[in-house]
Amino acid sequence: MPFYRCLIPEGSLTYDQRERIAVAITDVHCGLSTAPRSFVQVAFLNSSEGGEVADSHGSGVIRYDTPYFIAGGNRAGRSLETKSRILKGIIDRFVEIADIRRDLVSGTISEAPGSWTMEAGRILPDPGEEAEWLRQESVPA
Amino acid sequence: MFGLIQSSLATGTLISFEIYIQEGSVPDDLRPALEAAIGSASTDVLGQWAGPIEFTWTVVARGFGFRGGLPSTTSLVRGRIPDGCDRPTRERFLRSVGGEWRRLTGCAEDEVIVSARDWSWAG
Repeated sequence: MPFYRCLIPEGSLTYDQRERIAVAITDVHCGLSTAPRSFVQVAFLNSSEGGEVADSHGSGVIRYDTPYFIAGGNRAGRSLETKSRILKGIIDRFVEIADIRRDLVSGTISEAPGSWTMEAGRILPDPGEEAEWLRQESVPA
Repeated sequence: MFGLIQSSLATGTLISFEIYIQEGSVPDDLRPALEAAIGSASTDVLGQWAGPIEFTWTVVARGFGFRGGLPSTTSLVRGRIPDGCDRPTRERFLRSVGGEWRRLTGCAEDEVIVSARDWSWAG
C-alpha cells in the first residue's frame, strides 16, 4: 500500500541517489509503521518545476510549487503526528541524499482505507486489524 | 448498492483507473486486452453502474521504480468506483481485476497491487 511518487527534474538524480532514496523512504516508513518492507513502492517520475499530480489515494489533483515533490499514499488510520513524522523523515533523508536545499522539496501524504487494496493476493487490514492480519497471513518481510 | 455521485455523473465517468507499470514489464500491445478485462470485471461485479471507464497509464522508467528499496517489477492498478460498495463486493472486484491482470500478463501474485476507492473519497 505505501506508494511514494517522487517528482523530480529530469536528469537531476543518479541511479545511486534514487536507489538510496528508495531505501531511505522504506526505512523511514517501516520504522514508523507496521508495514512490511516489501510493500513499500517508490517511483521517481520526471516533472517540470511545479505543477500538479493526480492524487493516488484521494480525488482530484495535488498542486505543488517546488522542483522536487513527494506525493505519498498510505493506508488510512494513522495519527496526524505519525503522518507528519513519516513525511518529515522522508524529506530530511531526500534532501541529504539528493544534496539539495530543504526549500526545494515539499510533499504530502494522502490516505485510503486498507481494505480497499489487495496486495500480493491479500486484502489489507483496516486500522485495528493489523495484528490478526499479520498472524493469519504469511507476509514476506 | 451505490449512491448517487453527482460529479462523476456530470462527466459521464463512473469508474477510472490510474495504472502504473514498470518499463518492460507489460507490453504496450497488451493494454487494450487489459482494459477490456478490467471493464468486464467491472460489469460482472459492479453491475449496471460500471461504465464508462477511464484509463490513465504511467510507465515508470527502468531504474526509476523500487519496491522495498530494490528494483520493482510491480504494477499498481489504482481504481475509483462509485460510492457505497460493500466490503464483500469490493473484495470480489479487487480479486477479479487482480486475477485478470495476472492471467493476461503472466505476472506473479505479488507483482500486482489493485485498489478501488470510493469516488468521493478525498484522501
